[in-house]
Amino acid sequence: MNIFLHELKAYRKSTMIWTFSLVIMMVLFMSLYSSIHADAEAFLKVLKNYPEAIRNALGFNEKNFLTVVGFYSFLLSFVTLCASLQAMNLGTSIVSKEVREKTADFLLTKPVTRSQILTAKLMGAVVSLVITNMIYFAAASFMAFQFKADDFSMKIFFLLSLTVFFVQLIFLALGMIISVIFQTIKSVLTVSLAVVFAFYFVGMFFDTSGEKVKRYFSPFKYFDTAYIIKHSSYEPSFLIAGAAITILAIAASYFIYAKRDIHAV
Amino acid sequence: MTELLKDMPKSLRVVFGFNQLDLSKVSGYFGVLFIYLLLMATIHATMLGATVIAKEERDKTYEFLFTKPVSRSIIVTAKLLAALTNIIIFNLVTMASSMMLLAKYSHGEAVNDEIARLMAAMFILQLLFMVIGSALAAVKKKSKKAASLATGILVFTYFLSVAIDLNDRLTGLKYFTPFKYFEAKNVMYGGGFAAVYVVISVVLIAALTTVTYVFYKNRDLNV
Amino acid sequence: MDVIEIKNLTKTYGKARGISNISFNVEEGEIFGFIGPNGAGKSTTIRILLSLIYPDSGSAAIFGKDCIQFAPEIKKNIGYLPSEVFYYDNMKVKELLNYSASFYKKDCNKRMKELADIMDLDLNKKIDDLSLGNKKKVGIVQGLLHEPKLIILDEPTSGLDPLMQQNFFELLKEENKKGATILFSSHILSEVQRLCNRVAIIKEGKIVTVEKISNLTENTYKKFKVETKAPLDATYFQISGVHNLEVKGNVTSFIFKGNINDVMKKIAGVEIMNLWIEEPDLEEIFMHYYEKEA
Repeated sequence: MNIFLHELKAYRKSTMIWTFSLVIMMVLFMSLYSSIHADAEAFLKVLKNYPEAIRNALGFNEKNFLTVVGFYSFLLSFVTLCASLQAMNLGTSIVSKEVREKTADFLLTKPVTRSQILTAKLMGAVVSLVITNMIYFAAASFMAFQFKADDFSMKIFFLLSLTVFFVQLIFLALGMIISVIFQTIKSVLTVSLAVVFAFYFVGMFFDTSGEKVKRYFSPFKYFDTAYIIKHSSYEPSFLIAGAAITILAIAASYFIYAKRDIHAV
Repeated sequence: MTELLKDMPKSLRVVFGFNQLDLSKVSGYFGVLFIYLLLMATIHATMLGATVIAKEERDKTYEFLFTKPVSRSIIVTAKLLAALTNIIIFNLVTMASSMMLLAKYSHGEAVNDEIARLMAAMFILQLLFMVIGSALAAVKKKSKKAASLATGILVFTYFLSVAIDLNDRLTGLKYFTPFKYFEAKNVMYGGGFAAVYVVISVVLIAALTTVTYVFYKNRDLNV
Repeated sequence: MDVIEIKNLTKTYGKARGISNISFNVEEGEIFGFIGPNGAGKSTTIRILLSLIYPDSGSAAIFGKDCIQFAPEIKKNIGYLPSEVFYYDNMKVKELLNYSASFYKKDCNKRMKELADIMDLDLNKKIDDLSLGNKKKVGIVQGLLHEPKLIILDEPTSGLDPLMQQNFFELLKEENKKGATILFSSHILSEVQRLCNRVAIIKEGKIVTVEKISNLTENTYKKFKVETKAPLDATYFQISGVHNLEVKGNVTSFIFKGNINDVMKKIAGVEIMNLWIEEPDLEEIFMHYYEKEA
């Protein structure tokens, strides 16, 4: 419990900054919604002159065309990108911070097992993410109610927002396994930027080809917002894939870290 | 269909991921990819600029380096030149691989000129973000934090550029985000570089380089 | 009872470094010196005892329990001071010590104040702002805070001024009197001599000898240099125990091992201008043991 509280305290400042940034970004985009909605209304009138076949081909129909939820899922991809960076940073720090700040000797000569240390640190990171998500979700729902043009399903809105947390968990686990395998990470940010953006771009490129299998290569594509809006649920196969990656990475981290030599600095 | 898309307001095009680039042409497709290449390149340049200055203090090697008989200006010059070399290599490799890859799919369409122009634009922005990083590392008391801060600025300006696309009323802010300086569609089809942005970039680069030198020279080196 | 039992411990890194086939025991209540030059394997051995690294073969037990298998349980009663101390920079000294104490489920407040007084340490400073020596003090207080039964010190005196070193040694003797066993690693012979009952000498990853300090000093050579009024006969000091005899004009030098009275009698027999008798330094102790091996 003491390590957990210590970690939570150590993350306090960065959690606040990340939460604040995410909220600001969301607010910035959401506040543009009303003007975009006006653009959409106007465009819808133009669209009416076209035959229905074309309208369907474009995937626009009057019902889902730029609802607040539709717009929200657009901005969500940016939010997820930033939130993943936060999670990846946290995950990569779990082990590498003690190595970099040379405090591993202090912590590991205390009467606790390495698993207990990892568990406490992991919990600290997860709780930080939960706090970020709770504040973010509260702010996002507030904004959605402020700017909504029509009613929207709170359930779908919640499901969409929750995907941020799921993607974060995947990157948290990836960060953890990376920091356990590569012991001396000098700059956490470099590593997490590289990994997160690599997956983001991979997701972008594979997305254009439209093949479902390729979506497995990027956690950013595990949660298809269009599917969630349509079915009010997640795609089970991707949910399982995400959970499997997270659990495997965390389990492997425990396993490797338990046998690791901690060298003098 | 194309006509319909032309009528579409700019903000909607952004939300739905369409843009003014002609996706039927390979150069248009490359123009879409360009923003991602640009993001990668600028992130790399930012981190490089910040860490090349900050790493001596981070790795605690500054006592070794700064007790040698060389002036700080010489050290900074050498460091910036090393970073610059990296950036040039990054740029050239990107250009060469883009040209080779696109040659395969271009069906005879001449794209090398466009790619070269885009890469020139990318280079200016790389330089700009590199000196943003190095200037922050020189100014900030805890230079370790410079990389995060500089990356934060980069991400913020990128989102600002997206926001400007979404809302016409924000157009006035375009001078504040380098990502609006040289957009693929303007550079490729609009006759190249807008003078005003080139001037802004050069001034910023010169100013930030000076800041790097001046502040680093007067800096207390901390553990 | 043996507090530490090390049996055939081997750990290799790459080609040269590491330890091979090390065995020795530390008895309860003794102050045990562990001495050798840099890179001999002192820290490697200590890090295995603390289960920071794992041995390739062999075993080590503390309080009769395997130090890998029962690591957390054993560590409840160990205090460790590394040669270089690093702590969380953004914490205050007090916060760090409280964090450290929280691992042992003991109220250490009173003791924290006591120790800080002895070591002249300001509890309200930020660790970031401390000098190297003061950080070391934090390490000392941190290691002794929970009144451990076994204190492991890895080259602990670097960075401490002589006065603080004195206080620190007094503190260690005090702890020892209360029943704590101490493993003291160092490359400085004089401090080991001052403090320890027994000593293990390690060189290039191997234990050269484990001896009582008293034996060690008895067994070691002393360096003599005698300046006389008139040149001496080259055979004057040729008695048993004298080696490397050298006569240069009025100055005679040699090294000696054995009953010191024999040499003193010989010296008293001539009129001398000046006399130097020197303790051999660590290097010469090692030389002594290499010669024995060869």
